[in-house]
Formats: sequence, structure tokens, C-alpha cells
Amino acid sequence: MIKKDITQVKEWKKLGLKCGLEVHQQLDTNKLFCNCPSILRQEEPDFTVKRKLHAVAGESGDIDIAAKHETAQDKEFIYKVYNNVNCLVELDEEPPHEINKEALKISLQIAILLNCKILPITQIMRKTVIDGSNTSGFQRTVMIARDGFIETNQGKVKIEGLFLEEDSARPMIRDGKNIIYRLDRLGIPLLEIATAPDIKTPEQAKEVALHIGDILRSCRVKRGIGTIRQDINISIKGSNRVELKGFQDPKIMVKTVENEISRQQDFLKKRMNNPSEVRNVLPDGTSKFLRPMPGEARMYPETDLLLLNIHRNLINEIKRNLPKLRSEVLEDLKKTGLNHEMIKLLIRQNKFEEFKEFLRILDNPQLIAKILLIFPKEIASREKISINKIGKILNKEVLVYVLENLKRKKISEDQLKQSLERIVKGEKIEKAIVFEKEDINVVEEKIIEIIKRKQGLSLNAYMGLVMKEFHGKIDGKEVMEIIKKYVE
Amino acid sequence: MKSNAKLGDYVEVHLSKIIYEGILLETPESEKGVVLLKLDSGYNIGLNKKDILEIKLIKKSQERKEDIIIKKESSKPNIAMIITGGTIAARLNPKKGGVDWLTTPEDLFKFYPELFKKVNVIKVEVPFMKASEDMDFKDWQKIAKTAQRLLNDSNIKGLIITHGTDFLGYTAAALSFFLRDLNKPVVLTYSQRSIDRASSDANLNLECSALAAISNITEVMLVGHASINDDFCYAIPATKVRKLHSSRRDAFKVVNSKPFAKIFHDKIEIISDYKVRNRNKVKLDLKFVDKVALIKIYPGQDSSILNYYLRNKYKGIILEMSGLGHAPTKRSRNNWVKKLKEIQKKGLIVCVTAQTIYGRLNPLVYSNGRELFDTGIIYLEDMLSETALIKLGWVLAKTKNREEIKKLMLTNFSHELNDRLEE
Repeated sequence: MIKKDITQVKEWKKLGLKCGLEVHQQLDTNKLFCNCPSILRQEEPDFTVKRKLHAVAGESGDIDIAAKHETAQDKEFIYKVYNNVNCLVELDEEPPHEINKEALKISLQIAILLNCKILPITQIMRKTVIDGSNTSGFQRTVMIARDGFIETNQGKVKIEGLFLEEDSARPMIRDGKNIIYRLDRLGIPLLEIATAPDIKTPEQAKEVALHIGDILRSCRVKRGIGTIRQDINISIKGSNRVELKGFQDPKIMVKTVENEISRQQDFLKKRMNNPSEVRNVLPDGTSKFLRPMPGEARMYPETDLLLLNIHRNLINEIKRNLPKLRSEVLEDLKKTGLNHEMIKLLIRQNKFEEFKEFLRILDNPQLIAKILLIFPKEIASREKISINKIGKILNKEVLVYVLENLKRKKISEDQLKQSLERIVKGEKIEKAIVFEKEDINVVEEKIIEIIKRKQGLSLNAYMGLVMKEFHGKIDGKEVMEIIKKYVE
Repeated sequence: MKSNAKLGDYVEVHLSKIIYEGILLETPESEKGVVLLKLDSGYNIGLNKKDILEIKLIKKSQERKEDIIIKKESSKPNIAMIITGGTIAARLNPKKGGVDWLTTPEDLFKFYPELFKKVNVIKVEVPFMKASEDMDFKDWQKIAKTAQRLLNDSNIKGLIITHGTDFLGYTAAALSFFLRDLNKPVVLTYSQRSIDRASSDANLNLECSALAAISNITEVMLVGHASINDDFCYAIPATKVRKLHSSRRDAFKVVNSKPFAKIFHDKIEIISDYKVRNRNKVKLDLKFVDKVALIKIYPGQDSSILNYYLRNKYKGIILEMSGLGHAPTKRSRNNWVKKLKEIQKKGLIVCVTAQTIYGRLNPLVYSNGRELFDTGIIYLEDMLSETALIKLGWVLAKTKNREEIKKLMLTNFSHELNDRLEE
């Protein structure tokens, strides 16, 4: 490991390190060119679709080098499709709808926060991608703004451009020449922020990443693993530019940049040219060849949509309503009727965004606060598992799944916590929401028995006793009805 | 703003505070006040003309001419193609903003190399280039004439016709009636997804069309995606096909019949009976009376609309009726019975098809149907409305005799009638 002191910084400068960052952040809206919700699924898909892609000459008449590489094999792509998060647009069976206005507004907010100049007229483009990760064979992308900057300890770093694009499908399995993708992620709005190659040291790269991350989190963006991805473009004097793709964790950024620098140095020592290529970052900070660097031949206009005009009025409106500060967030939470303690916990544990998101699934602030704050803690102490581990098991997707089943009345509020417990204990989520139902006559007999045995208790006390007896196999509301019948 | 730069040139565009560099593109019709520029990153942006101080030419665009040589291999069968327009033959020209048509074997080869793996495309004819919604009977006649010439050329084993999707069903039906004594396969095909994208459905459609064109299925047929998968196509009788989706690649469905075959990129699975290749000379039967109309019946509709057709000397009308073949009758405020009797007396031929699309008409089940049937209107069994319109125009050119017309309309010429509905 190289020691990073002043001499090291000089060392980087001597090497002529040029480093630019690309941050890709999912926005928290419906999809960019259709009205599907932007939610990732865990379950088995509703159906699958088989497709092939053919390389096509771009507008210059050239087939893009990256596209050529991908089409070398006669691949078949299999797409797993989910009815509730996919429509004909993601299936490449319907033209795109008008660009999502919410996503555009959020992008413009971020553009303003990054001191960018917004383009008044711009065109939605198709970027040829034929590794199958886009059913259409291209990714829709549009340049929204340019020429911004952020301040760092080592000086200004210029923001070259801001691009709003569609996220790609998730690759699941590579099975010989076939690749299986899930279509849930395809079309989720993804904001790309590209800095100029102004970054001079790996430390500064990390600082830029964190700074941009802070701005993003003040706006309506998705949170959690996979919702933000970072690429770094790196070259040193005499070497060709290499794009490192897929950083999840800023912690390994410094190490990865250092590794890439020494990799490029090795080429130079051998008096060889390193190929300009895209490489995938591995968890240990090294990287692996992914594909050749794509050229400009792969961009052409999205002919199904009109030019995008970003009106002055819209920009002014956004400037007037830039994201809320922490104190304002507090006000919002108070309006939901949550008590002070819960609000404090939500903010401290940084669960505010999830809270808002879950509230959109089920309008029950108290229950959602419990799901986020209380239940994990209770389960952790009962099962003697660390709260961190519980948090990983009961991740957002699991909670969304359980909440949706509650909304569809597949489980009751009483059963929800038990479902979570069972998931923590290792049950599959599909099974953990299945409950045996106790015969209501048996329940009624038991209730009569309990009331006889322990006379004079309150309704709630009886309720507790009955629920304990049947351990979640019964519906609390029904039980209360029966108890009321016998306790006057 | 003056400039000697032309579309496609690399330029500097000077605004008051910034200079952009990029390739000058043509602006879409709807955005005349805008200059469109392709930046080095590949992104296009628009600049308001009134903000531009100067456009400075940096580098002239270079015309690229590629010489594509398509090798003709004697081991492969020869086919011919007729290109008529539509998405399948339109490629985006980003310099113009509009489309260029693919009209030569070389153009086709560049976009559809797979097609040429199976066959030699030895002739490409372009009678006209139109979107299908702009076509009429004269265009169908032109296609038929070209088709006849190609089909009677002994070097050619089969014919592929590419066409826009919107009104493809009408052209398909017209060719079924216009081309008599067919000797070789006539395959109509299309694309729903533009061909500039790697996912275009045109590739599979053309590959399967090539197999159909060299097969033994001597019919006019439409070949296209069977589902939203890129795995196989159906070859559907041209009189029994309808566009049933505005955007999906499997938009065309067989109605009240079965496909002739299921076609994969490398094999054909036969599904139903067809005529086989023969040594006939194809004849043309092109005469067509275009004073025919297709009218859809809706609740409360006023029958006096028919006066318009009488006044304008229409000869025949297809009424697309509800259910088993119904229109407003005696309990309606707008009883059609009287008007139907009147216009038929004045010489108008009235035929009926089903607006349910699927299924056969039967006017005898309900009293309303019987009342309409008794006016003498001709119920066309399970025939598609679009096919019926074409057939009526074609039959009316043959005879003016009412009984003869009815007989011909109910004679099966090209699979348009099916007396056994299995589904």
C-alpha cells in the first residue's frame, strides 16, 4: 500500500494523472419513458421473453467498436418480465412515452445545486448498447446541463455534463451463449453526473464522490445498495484512457485508482500502449476487462420523441423550490402524526426516505415507523442477532414485499411482524407470508374458556391471552369481535 | 447569421458567452427556429437561431462511399423483392433528420445481412415509396403488375414484398384477388420496430420470409412475428390477416383461420393446407371499382348517412355490424331497415361483415337479424371487413348483376371464406 503524503500528491502530479468521475444515481420516480413503478422484484417473473439483437451501422455508417465486440457471438437474450413493474415500453413493444416530468425536475434541481448551466433545447438520444441489457438495443439518454463545478480541498472540479438516462436490465445468469436479464430495473431514471478530468489524486476522487453524494441525497433519489454507481475514467501521461465501472463503495475507490495507475504504469514500463477499454471493478479493488471503449458512432437521435425544450419558467420554479433542509423535513414528519421520539429516530437512523417511500405503498405512518424502527430492534433482541444483520436480511426489497402483501390483505397487521421474524429465522419470503388459519369455532370455544377461567379482565387483557394462545394464526380484529360478544 | 457551413459539416457555433463545436444537423420541421448540433460526445443539443452570432466552418463533411459487393452464390436460390416503403425500408438520416429509403440490394445487404445468407436477392423493384396509409387501389395494381412480371421470370423462385404495416392487410387482400393462377410464393412482410435499432423485428421477419419465398407454399401470405419473442413467425393467408396491435411486433394475427406454417429462422413447420408450386403463368385480374365504402355501425346511428353514398354514386358498401350481424331496427329511434331497402332498390350493393372481427355472422338467430336479412343485404360469413371491401371493389368490376355479385362475394377465391371455424 502506498503512503499518501505530500510527496505522494506530487508523485501523482508527476505521473500526469487525469481522472474524471461519472456518478450514476437512480431517481425516486416512476420510470423515465413509461408509467411503471421503479421497484426491483425478488420473486419469480410472470413470464419470459426471448430476443436477439443485430449490430446496426450507426449514423456515420460505422458499426461501433463496442457494439461489434458484443455482437460477435450469436447470443439469445432471455428477459424475465414482471407484470406490475414492466409494460410494453420496456419490452420494446411500444414507443416511449413523454419523458417523466418529475425525473426531469429532480435532474434540474441537481443541475442547479451543481452550479451547471441548463440546456434550453436538447435532444433525447439513443446510445447503442447491444449486450442485451436494453431490449431495444440502445439506451435512451439526454444531456440536460453542462459546465458546473464543485469545490474540494484541492481546488475546483468542473462538472462537464449532466445526463438523464434509462437504467439497464439486471443481468442474472450467463448461461453459455444465452444471458438472462430481469426487466424490473430497465427504464428507472438514472442521472449521470460526469466531472471533467480535473481530479489530480485518488483522495480527491473520493472527496468529489462524497460531495456529489451529499447533493444527490438532498433530492428525491433512490437509496440503498445498487441505487448509486460510480465509474472512473483514468489515464496517466502517455497512456490511454480506461473506464472503471461499477463502484458501489467509495471506501475502495482510492485503492482501485491506485491499482489502475500501477496497471497503466506496467504497460508504459514495457513500452506498450494499454488498450482504451471499459473495466469492471472487483470487490478487492482490482478490475477485469469488460468491453472496448465505445466511440461516438453509437449515438443517434430518439426519433420517437420531440426535441426537449426546458423552459425558463420551469427552471425558475425549481430554483424557488430547491430541496428542503433538515428542519423542513422535520415539519413534514410532524404532519404525518408521528410522535417526537419516532421522528427523531427516523432522522437519526436516516430512514426518512424509506419512510416516505413505504408511505406511498401503504398510508399508515405509525405502522411503517414501527416496521422501520421498532420491529427490527425487537426481533434483534429476541433472536440475539445484531441489528446490522437484521437490517441486511430485512432490506428494503423484503419490506416492500411484505408491505405489498399487507396491502393486498394476504396477511394482517398482526401477522406482519411474525412474517418478519420468520424471514429473519431463515424462511423464504414467499413462505413467510403464508399463515395457517385457525378454525374460528375452535377460537371461539377457547375464548369462552379463557373468559370463564379468568373473570373480570379488560378487553385488551383477554385479547393478549387469546393472541398468545394462537400465536398469529388468527386475525386480531375477528378475535376482538368475539371477545366483545362475551364480555359486557 | 450567415454561414457557408452545410449540413454535416463540423462547425463552431458562437453564442455571446460560449462557443460550441460539433456537426451541424438538420432541424426537424416543427423546430424551425433551432439549430441542431451534434457535440463530440455524440449528444445532440439545440441552439436558438436568434442567440447565434456566427457559425464558423471548421471542416467540410466527407461523403463516404462504400462499395459493397454482394456475392451471388449459385448454390443459393434466387428471389426477388418489391420494396414499397414503410418502416422496414426506412432508415434515419441524421443529417437530414428525416428518413432515407432502402431501395437497392446493397442497401438491403447492409441492414439485413442475414437475409442474404439464405438466398440471392437478384432483383429489387421499387414501384413507388409510400407509407401504407397513403396507398390506394392504383398502388395495389402497380404492385400486382410488378409481382406478375417477377413471378413469371423463371430465374426467380419466390417473391418478398416489404410494406408499411398500417394498411398492409388491404394490400395483402388485393394481391390475393389480383394475382390469378399463382405459381410461386408471394410473401408480404413488414417491421414494427425501426431498422436502425439492434432489436428490430425486421431481421427475423425477413429471414423467415426468405424461407417462405423458397418454400412450396404457393399462396399470397403475410410472414411476421408469431409472438413478442424473436423465435418464429407465422405465414398467414393474406385474406385472413388483420393488424390487431398498434405497436407490438406480433401485431398481425390470423382471424377465423389458421396459419399455413410456423417458420423458424432455419426450418418450416406446416400447419394447414396450401397450393403447391406449378408451371402456371400468373395472370392479372386488376379491374377495380373504387366507389366502395366501409361503414361501422354504432348505437343510435342515423341511416341517412347512406344518402351521401347514393348521391356520390357509390356502387357498394360494406356495413360492419354488431354481433351476429345487427344494426338498429324497429325498436330503435333510427330504424335502418327502410333505408337499406331503399338504397338497394336504387342499385347499391350492401354487404355485411362482423365488427367483432372474430366469428361468423348469422342473421337468423334473432328477429332483428331476420328483419335486416330480409332487406336483401349480403351476409359475408366469416370474411374480414377489409378483405370484404377489396373483394367487393374487385367483384363489382366484373358484373353489374345483383345475383351474380352475391354469388361471387360468397365464392371462395383465396381463403377469404372458411366454412369450418375451429376456434
